Amino acid sequence: MAEKDERSFCKALFEGKIDEELVFPYPHLTGEDAENLHLIIDSVGKFCRDKVHGEAIDKEKRIPEEVIGGLSELGLMGMIIPEAYSGFALTQRAYCRVIEELSCFNASVAVTVGGHQSIGFKGLLLFGTEEQKQKYLPRLATGEWMAAFCLTEPGAGSDAQGLKATAVRKGDHYLLNGSKQWVTNGGLADFFTVFAQTEVDVKGEKKKRVTAFMVTKEMAGITIGPEEKKMGIRGSSTTPVIFENVKVPVENLLGEEGNGFKVAMEVLNSGRLGLASGCVGAARTMIETSVAHAKEREQFGRPIAEFEMIQEKIARMVVNTYAMESATYMTAGLADRGDVDFSLESAISKVFSTDRVWEVINDALQIMGGNGYMEEYPHERFMRDARINMIFEGTNEILRLFIALAGLQGPGEKLKEVAQAIKDPLHNFGQLADYAVRKITSLAGDRISRADSLLEDEYRRVEEYARQLPDAAEKVIRRYRKKIVEKEFLLERIAEMVSDLYVMTCVISRVTSAIQEKGVDAAETEIHICKTFCNFAWRRIRRNNRMIDRNDDKILVDIAKSTLEKAAYPV
Amino acid sequence: MNIIVCMKQVPDTAARIKIKGDGKGIETSGVSYVVNPYDEYAVEEALRLKEKAGGEVVVISLGPDRATEAIRTCLAMGADRGVHLKDPSFEDADPFVTAQLLAKALSGMDYDLILCGKQAVDDNACFVGPALAEGLGIPQATVITKLTLAEDAKSVTVEREVEGGREVLQLPLPALVTAQKGLNEPRYASLPGIMKAKKKEIKVMDAAAVGVSGDDVKQKIETVSLSPAPERTAGKIIPGEPSEAVKELVRLLKEEAKAL
Ligand SMILES: Cc1cc2nc3c(=O)[nH]c(=O)nc-3n(C[C@H](O)[C@H](O)[C@H](O)COP(=O)(O)OP(=O)(O)OC[C@H]3O[C@@H](n4cnc5c(N)ncnc54)[C@H](O)[C@@H]3O)c2cc1C
Repeated sequence: MAEKDERSFCKALFEGKIDEELVFPYPHLTGEDAENLHLIIDSVGKFCRDKVHGEAIDKEKRIPEEVIGGLSELGLMGMIIPEAYSGFALTQRAYCRVIEELSCFNASVAVTVGGHQSIGFKGLLLFGTEEQKQKYLPRLATGEWMAAFCLTEPGAGSDAQGLKATAVRKGDHYLLNGSKQWVTNGGLADFFTVFAQTEVDVKGEKKKRVTAFMVTKEMAGITIGPEEKKMGIRGSSTTPVIFENVKVPVENLLGEEGNGFKVAMEVLNSGRLGLASGCVGAARTMIETSVAHAKEREQFGRPIAEFEMIQEKIARMVVNTYAMESATYMTAGLADRGDVDFSLESAISKVFSTDRVWEVINDALQIMGGNGYMEEYPHERFMRDARINMIFEGTNEILRLFIALAGLQGPGEKLKEVAQAIKDPLHNFGQLADYAVRKITSLAGDRISRADSLLEDEYRRVEEYARQLPDAAEKVIRRYRKKIVEKEFLLERIAEMVSDLYVMTCVISRVTSAIQEKGVDAAETEIHICKTFCNFAWRRIRRNNRMIDRNDDKILVDIAKSTLEKAAYPV
Repeated sequence: MNIIVCMKQVPDTAARIKIKGDGKGIETSGVSYVVNPYDEYAVEEALRLKEKAGGEVVVISLGPDRATEAIRTCLAMGADRGVHLKDPSFEDADPFVTAQLLAKALSGMDYDLILCGKQAVDDNACFVGPALAEGLGIPQATVITKLTLAEDAKSVTVEREVEGGREVLQLPLPALVTAQKGLNEPRYASLPGIMKAKKKEIKVMDAAAVGVSGDDVKQKIETVSLSPAPERTAGKIIPGEPSEAVKELVRLLKEEAKAL
């Protein structure tokens, strides 16, 4: 993938620019794409209702072969593969909708299908050569082969650059050695995207750099370890994968030597959208089941649905879900454009959706009362299944750092070393700090012109806080320069500010489309949702902004430190 | 083997149905529609026959614009082409008129076997299949659970469940049968199927193309009123010791429910 001069909505926000053209109108699928999607979702829903039994999958800790086979037959293993390689060339939006539908029924199934294509073979799709794609994609498209993504090692989790696996060039092949852990689909896969350190020449010097490889099961020296015993997504396969002197032909190099970290980051950028859409599916099921219960269950002589604290939870679940959905599918639409950088937006969608689905499930479970705690109902299982989302494909902490740091570096950067550093701001921020200070200049403030006037209060807030974000960014960079990387409290606030701005914009855009398509009356609930979400969001932004200067950060650090010192409850 | 499947698009069985203000129809906004489940058995059986004996499966449906989607679903399952009977004057077609319109449309077509669902789950009339067979003057068997094509492809043998047993019938072709649950397990429309369906033809026939006008399409039956099923009332839990509770239960069954 060439370095393109790509626009980014969120990076532009850091300059105080609201790039309306990227987010209006809301990118709903239309025409034939929408019709096809409808048929696909109908069929997937029907299949899941008949064949996917979430409770049994959880208890037996496996997905029946019949289900995996059925999903393959439906074509769900090759959704995003181009037709030239026997796939179905679905858009990201359609793909995400299918993952969402699967997640309405069972997270293990969604993670298996998602692990295969969101990350398993995504590197091949993005960086593979024509020959490589011809060779592997058709088999992966039909599900004959399943794929897995092997980045994490016991010693390298969030800091993936610190991975220890090595690949040493020996003539026409590399000798691959290393231990990967927690590989999704490890027990099912025939195709592994593996990251290992190789020696490369950097300006005449030999340096260790991460390189991506495609490894297939038939290569000698691969050991699949035992299945992990997990809190949730128990039906999905998670195993160690150990490589001992595996001969990987040079043809199986994925992308350029030394470019592996970029491969991994690009894969995860779009992979994260699958997770976000999965959260939407889980949230929908939680709303449906808890609302049905609230109407049926009577206490104090009335259905509990009539009590305000129950109604509050119902409304909150809906607002959260709508916001998650709006951000996720906006971002999927950006991905489908093919000409924009959506890395911040996908990170925001992932962090926001995975945090919010947890709240939704918590609300739903509370509405269920004691039943929610029982295995007979799906809520405790959905809760266990959802917890992983905040951890994998980049923990929400690491992604918040990424959102803030990538934004602080200024948008659309073309300088070569800067472009390189943007791939990995966590390691390369220092050299950029001076540059960033120059970049953020004084600003006039952008306007939103395409939102419906009924939402004026809301979009004016976006304008207002879009002016404050660059001020905040400039302030922290001037104050801390390179040390900003260590100021995680502040970075977290900045990440939250830009996330709230983005999600607000997504909701406003979507509700504007709803008003245009259905009229004000039919869009009434959506207008209410928009107002509610934005009301909470701008107050959070204001608070986060104020807390850049006035906060208890130091006290919190002190509490943490004294606890760490004692290595126990400190009082 | 040329097989025709008559299919109706109906509101999703899981949809919450609201009755319109005039009490004579249902509120259609916000309702999602599906292929009538019994018609899915018919489509599946047609596809299996075709896979064995070759030929063509044509799906015909009478309905408004939205019915195209249901036809597409059948094409995505594997049917070869669709015929959509669509005309403003068809909108109020009752089962009798529907059967007549289908008969008219089919009379110009070449078919060996016609498959219908045993009933449409929206109006539960169980009428169109039999009336269509009458209109075409061909033999029929209703509510079948098994179908076998003769070696010479000149007849079909079907099984029907009847009170306390099973009935086996043989019908010379061309014939019409209506499908009951249990006939088969319908396949799911797959992504490859959906992509292929894009390129398949759906022929639209309006009143002129079917060759009908005015009185031909005038409904013979008038809907007087529709009303929702009564709300399910809350259950009752009888408290107390089992021996006492049983007594109370028997009393309630006798006196209130009048079941004993
Ligand atoms: C079920 C499951 C499936 C998985 N599937 C795959 C897979 O298919 N392929 C794959 O390669 N990996 C996979 N993983 C691994 C997953 O991506 C990692 O667990 C994740 O990246 C976090 O790494 P870690 O667990 O080592 O946590 P650590 O990196 O040890 O982090 C521990 C905590 O510290 C925080 N933290 C770390 N660094 C910082 C920092 N600089 N600032 C603030 N906080 C920080 C983290 O956010 C986290 O809260 C899977 C994991 C699980 C549990």
